[in-house]
Amino acid sequence: MELDFSPVIAYAPTLLSGVGVTSLIALVVALFSVLGGLLVAVISVYTNKVVSWPIRFLIWLFMTTPLLLQLYFLYFGLGEWILIPALMVGVLGLGFHYMAYNADIFIATIRSVSAGQYEASRSLGFGHLRTLFYIIVPQAFIRSVPQIGNNLILMVKDTSVLSAIGVAELVYASQYAISVSFRPFEFFIVIAIVYYLLNLIMEFGQARFERMTADRR
Amino acid sequence: MDVNLMVEVTPLLIKAAWITIDISIRAIILGFGVACVLVFLRSLQIKPLQWFSRGYVSVIRGTPYFVQLLLVFYGGPTIGLTMDPFTCGVMVGAFNIGAYMSEAIRGALESVESGQNEASRSLGFGRLQTLTYVVLPQAAGLMIRSVGVLAIVLVKNSSLVSIISVVELTYQAQRLIGSTYKPFEIFTLTAVMYICIVYAVMGIVELAYRRATRYTTLVKRVQ
Amino acid sequence: MTIETKTDTPMVEIVNVHKKFGDLEVLKGINLTVPKGKIVSIIGSSGSGKSTLLRSVNHLEVIDDGVIRLDGVQVNRPDMKGLAFERHINHIRQNMGMVFQHFNLFPHLSTLDNVTLAPRKLKGMARKEAEELGREYLNRVGLADKADVYPSRLSGGQKQRVAIARALAMQPKVMLFDEATSALDPELVEEVNLVMRDLAKEHMTMLIVTHEMAFARDVSDWAMFMEGGVVVEEGTPDKFFSNPDHERTRNFLRKHLSSQH
Ligand SMILES: Nc1ncnc2c1ncn2[C@@H]1O[C@H](COP(=O)(O)OP(=O)(O)OP(=O)(O)O)[C@@H](O)[C@H]1O
Ligand SMILES: [Mg+2]
Repeated sequence: MELDFSPVIAYAPTLLSGVGVTSLIALVVALFSVLGGLLVAVISVYTNKVVSWPIRFLIWLFMTTPLLLQLYFLYFGLGEWILIPALMVGVLGLGFHYMAYNADIFIATIRSVSAGQYEASRSLGFGHLRTLFYIIVPQAFIRSVPQIGNNLILMVKDTSVLSAIGVAELVYASQYAISVSFRPFEFFIVIAIVYYLLNLIMEFGQARFERMTADRR
Repeated sequence: MDVNLMVEVTPLLIKAAWITIDISIRAIILGFGVACVLVFLRSLQIKPLQWFSRGYVSVIRGTPYFVQLLLVFYGGPTIGLTMDPFTCGVMVGAFNIGAYMSEAIRGALESVESGQNEASRSLGFGRLQTLTYVVLPQAAGLMIRSVGVLAIVLVKNSSLVSIISVVELTYQAQRLIGSTYKPFEIFTLTAVMYICIVYAVMGIVELAYRRATRYTTLVKRVQ
Repeated sequence: MTIETKTDTPMVEIVNVHKKFGDLEVLKGINLTVPKGKIVSIIGSSGSGKSTLLRSVNHLEVIDDGVIRLDGVQVNRPDMKGLAFERHINHIRQNMGMVFQHFNLFPHLSTLDNVTLAPRKLKGMARKEAEELGREYLNRVGLADKADVYPSRLSGGQKQRVAIARALAMQPKVMLFDEATSALDPELVEEVNLVMRDLAKEHMTMLIVTHEMAFARDVSDWAMFMEGGVVVEEGTPDKFFSNPDHERTRNFLRKHLSSQH
């Protein structure tokens, strides 16, 4: 057993571009899944059953089936109708998956904001929508920070799954290098380290954001 | 919706579902063992062992399960670790979920207030007796619930094993979608199967939870 | 510091005990001797180290210096390590009953099982025998009818009485009470005090930390006032409560007697 990390160094630019794509996907999916999740949650809580029931069903469906299965479905399902690049499918698939998880949390926190808050706001003269926008949703959002943070940390790790449908993120980007260098162990160790670092950054960010919002929870 | 096709592929998917269940059960049992060892090492007053346990948990939780799987399956042979795909799926699943479970178990044990420990010790019980007679029975409920949540995560994670060609549900689904071009039908069937497995786990967990926490609802002991 | 007694070995001896939490010195050389069958009350303001002292006797806190003995046997053994010490301390603790402010009943066990767990598992008593004994002790604290009830269904006073029965079932040589009635509603205090008075009549050796001056005066053979980790004053209850020597003791008693009635 002799380890040789020189191919990894030789392919450093490839890996770096993979890290770039991974980070970019993570960023887009984070925004998409948090904002989307919030919107979905508000709609689901404040509309009638006809609208909210299908939403809840979809959230439930996304949460009880594996991400990879959802990705395959989107990849082949959408592929039937339109020509769509893997990257798009990946971002959408991961985005919807975590949108469901985030919405689930937002729904719970929106419900946890007391009725008194709503009444207080209405009594000041705010309308229904303004009350949601200025009073309820911000409070719910702040209360959700720790759990949403957890979800985003999981999400960054799950970007690796997108390699299965050919998205050129870190894992996929290394595949060619691995196949020509025959050094899978060394490459995957380095990839794991990269994810570990990304994860550290995420946890650091989560801790900071939690502290920033702690007073308002 | 092509019902004929769905009927036709159902046996294939059920067979694959068994593989998913098989792999999950093995990984959960083994993972629970891994978790217990981690908790035990962490509880010893020996610094290097504590560090090992903490480091292990941190590394496993800080890296993607998917990468762990690829590392062990493709990179394992480099360091003399060759496994067939199924075994690899079980092992990586177990050693992965074990890290998460150890945190869940520790959390459950720590949720029992320290007064319980003190009361037991003050009666003359040793550490192990205190754990078995006093702490574990009280921690069991929370432990079962959080281990249950992780078992469900594990079932869903097991789909990634399809990448190393274990013919489990997701692998079979992908193959069928590719050959039939009926993603909706295949997805529906596969989703139903995952949902059944997940709900079966939830049901078992709930039963176990009720058993473990009977004392909170019981008033009279049946003599 | 001596209590008149005719017995030879004291039941509890506390000799020059020191204890620090980090930089905070909580016990600064405490000495106390409790003869067999005597009752000592420890009083003092919050944070003076009363609980720490009591917990040290049970070795729930590890003292930094000094010696604690139970019936002639040294409790703290800095010379012993690991499993040997575990065995030693477990054995010692079987001879001491401790009652906590917050009861610490085992919520997953019925009242009777709370009482019988230790005799069964530690003394190897058969279930039947243990349950007879358990019922007897429950009867003594007036809770014979609650044997099969779970602790969550009991009032605070009942819980504390079960906790006392649980400790008594091990037939300890000494009982340690750490503010046994502080967490109780006022109307429930007396039922617990009554049980403690009964024990006093039976000449159980007791170390009682309490904020109830009247009770302490009534029940104890010796009273001790702690402040800032030292014993400020001690003496017979008559002298101690009616005519203490020290200004600080007088201040403390004045505050507490007035706030009580
Ligand atoms: N485990 C601990 N770690 C650090 N400091 C402690 C610990 N336990 C007690 N202390 C400190 O030691 C001091 C004495 O505490 P102790 O509980 O013995 O006081 P007490 O006389 O029983 O007070 P109270 O009447 O409030 O029960 C306090 O200042 C307390 O904050
Ligand atoms: Mg105290």
